Amino acid sequence: MTDAQTEPEASSAVMMDDKVTLTYVEDLPPNTVRFAEALVEGRIVGQRCPQCQRVYVPPKGYCPLDVVLLDEGDDTEVSDRGVVTGFTIIAPVKYYGQTKTEPFVYASILLDGASGTLGGQDVSGISADKVRAGLRVKAVWKPEAERTTEGQSARGWGNVEGCISSFEPSGEPDAPREHYQEHVI
Amino acid sequence: MAEPAAIIGFGQTKHAKARADLSMPGLCREAATRALEDAGLDWKDIDAVVIGKAPDAFEGVMQPELFLADALGSAGKPMIRVHTAGSVGGSTVIVAAHLVEAGIHARVLAVAWEKQSEGNAQWGLAGGRSGGIGAGGAFAPFIRSYIERTNAPEYIGWQVAVKDRLNALKNPYAHLRLPDISLEKVKESPMLWDPIHFLESCPSSDGAAAVVIGNADEARKAPRPPAWIIASAVRSEPTQFPGRDAVRPQAGVDCAHDLYRQAGITNPAQEIDAAELYVPFSWYEPMWLEGHDIAGPGEGWKMVDRGDTELTGSFPVNPSGGVLSSNPIGASGMLRLAEAANQVRGQAGEHQVEGARIALGQAYGGNAQYFSMAIFSSTLP
Amino acid sequence: MAPVDVALIGWAQTPSVARASIAEPQLCMQANLAAVAKAGIERKDIGFTCSGSCDYLTGGPFAFVQNLDAAGAWPPIAESHVEMDGAWALYEAWTRLQLGDIDVALVYGSGKSSPSDPVQLYPQQLDPYYLAPLGLDPASIGALQARALLDSGRASEDQFAEVAARSRRSARSNPNAHVRGDEDAADLAKADYVRAPLRAHDIAPVSDGAAAIVLATAERARGLVERPVLIRGIEHRLEIHQPGMRDLTRSPSTAAAAQGAGLGGGRVDVAELCALFSPQELILRDALGLDDSVDVNPSGGPLTANPVMATGLVRIIEAAQRIADGTAGRALAHATNGQGLQHNLVAILEGVS
Repeated sequence: MTDAQTEPEASSAVMMDDKVTLTYVEDLPPNTVRFAEALVEGRIVGQRCPQCQRVYVPPKGYCPLDVVLLDEGDDTEVSDRGVVTGFTIIAPVKYYGQTKTEPFVYASILLDGASGTLGGQDVSGISADKVRAGLRVKAVWKPEAERTTEGQSARGWGNVEGCISSFEPSGEPDAPREHYQEHVI
Repeated sequence: MAEPAAIIGFGQTKHAKARADLSMPGLCREAATRALEDAGLDWKDIDAVVIGKAPDAFEGVMQPELFLADALGSAGKPMIRVHTAGSVGGSTVIVAAHLVEAGIHARVLAVAWEKQSEGNAQWGLAGGRSGGIGAGGAFAPFIRSYIERTNAPEYIGWQVAVKDRLNALKNPYAHLRLPDISLEKVKESPMLWDPIHFLESCPSSDGAAAVVIGNADEARKAPRPPAWIIASAVRSEPTQFPGRDAVRPQAGVDCAHDLYRQAGITNPAQEIDAAELYVPFSWYEPMWLEGHDIAGPGEGWKMVDRGDTELTGSFPVNPSGGVLSSNPIGASGMLRLAEAANQVRGQAGEHQVEGARIALGQAYGGNAQYFSMAIFSSTLP
Repeated sequence: MAPVDVALIGWAQTPSVARASIAEPQLCMQANLAAVAKAGIERKDIGFTCSGSCDYLTGGPFAFVQNLDAAGAWPPIAESHVEMDGAWALYEAWTRLQLGDIDVALVYGSGKSSPSDPVQLYPQQLDPYYLAPLGLDPASIGALQARALLDSGRASEDQFAEVAARSRRSARSNPNAHVRGDEDAADLAKADYVRAPLRAHDIAPVSDGAAAIVLATAERARGLVERPVLIRGIEHRLEIHQPGMRDLTRSPSTAAAAQGAGLGGGRVDVAELCALFSPQELILRDALGLDDSVDVNPSGGPLTANPVMATGLVRIIEAAQRIADGTAGRALAHATNGQGLQHNLVAILEGVS
């Protein structure tokens, strides 16, 4: 191998800021539309795969494990209570479009009745250093008049941010590790 | 039925936070010309070009390999652009190797790169939305789970962070040069994604890597020793599904087992002399040692604790300084495989593991769901 | 090393539509399920999977990761992805099958073009220093190519209109196309220009769709399907990027790829060409030496359905279908990548009795 420069030479190159705007307008798939509408009504709806019986929340419109397409007939409601299965606390980084300024909790929640987790949830009503896997939580719903389908997208399978602002401790005893250890994500 | 193939040349850029002295084509050429020189070849000798990089949102150019046609000598030739998230650098080597193993081409140039300083990787990773979790946000919960499962002491992560940065001081191409790094400094550095501290995390780098892969005839003609690709494998699993073990992904286990089977390896910890593993956050060193069955369950952190993974240890990991010291995302996977190859070629200079004959290169990506791995040997079995 | 003969044993495409109401992974799953069913194999028979898609088209980083859900990746699979049309994913899978240790591969390509505006998006695919700032959209590059072709004297606007009219008429019998018509070429030639000398019908539409193909070694194929379609040869070549630095009226990369794929070995009955603008069909015919005896784009071609990142794979499917149903003994399929025919792939397909 040839010798490496230990430091690149100082540059007279000009850096040009080239800002580009790309707009994407996409229809939400039917499963995400039904998920969003139910959320506005205060219900969390997933889908049960008829083959493996797993319940996906949010509903994907298919089961990726059995490779079968799912439809409205497979929709099933799940609880708005569950358990934190894994989490981190994120120190926000500034970038274009970032609105977060304070460290925030990023938790996966296994809702009662669901087989898979709802990711990326904030946990409120408890200091960040007390958040733990096993913590039983319940949804903090926005007042009905304030609920929107804002923030839904076809990137990922939907989120709850327009209707549920966070999850908070439910006051129940922690769930045993066996209950959640296979659902870290 | 596959023909033998070998890495006969390797080049890389000096990785840095921003290579403002080079354009994107310039960055790629710095690595590619070094690889060609190392292989004793010229641009015209190359039959096909395989290019890998991570999301194009990082630089703001859609399918940049198209405009790099001239710069990479691929005009007039077959060109393939691979994209498999963080594992891409590794899968790019493997796609290029397949072209030679299939007897389609004799000499293939593979280039992988990222010029992150020209975009905003944080914005890119966030998909342009607020509340992005960055590179580490997805993995922090897995790391926390590993620590809970194994009761590993908290200093293990700091230890890996120190080891890799000290190794990097022996690698003139590495981005981070932190001669004063210490366990204390790592522990005191700001928490980014609990429990990952700033100094346990990879940098954001501009950089490129390139390898020339040749068939047996080319390997014999090459001016420097070849690294024979005696095994290669890729595995993927879905991003998120009920019951997924994201801490010890099955895809990583299966990929490793396929690899060992191809190479005739039954005791990887003993039979592999050096490993370059994709460790962007320090805890991934013990996690991959276990995740690829180099160490038993709960034993990975003990290998670290004992110093086994030091440059002079029984199982050196990341003698180059690894992803923790340089992380041009698209190139990092290729750097792992190529640095492993360089070990068995005896070309690793100051970070050479003495007597390395068999080396492992590994890259992973996505939600710890994509794996690309290869084993290199100084001799053809 | 003796090349391993590879055949297509199953294929499927979602009907191309102007705007799909379901998400891309769901489109992929529909195509994959149908292709695997047609091939008569089980998922566990698949030794390698490769897909093609484009992050920028989908509008997010790692967009292909969601599509992996459609690939049946559990238990984990050997899988890869190219940021290119599925035709190149097929090339990678064909290469993989040469190694002899696996004998079945699944390939899929997908894209939803409807969420974005090509005028806004595709300048990003150009040289960021010299071309992207010009805001050059793909139809403008197509128009420059068309103008150059007219100026060369080798084609006329009437011929452009004939290509468009024939394509739209052919599409009427193709349930997977979504642009159809039965106009005379003379009537089409009277329409207003969109990007002179191109008219709306000369330009491939915006479409959403996915396509999938199951490949098998010829040996394995014989045990699985009655009429496997053999890949006689497959090659691809890239050209210089800058449209101002190459002769836009010729496609030497297509000619070279075709030669490498064995076009010279015999005449073809059918050619499915990725002509995204009607003048491109004339350029490709010229590069491939196709005379009027060849049935070009019996499917209607990309002017009638253009699911970007799957359009090339669809050409291969349409060619294969004609061999399978007996209307062609030897067919050519062409795929393109980039703009102005910068990168071209040719596959020669034959029936196996």
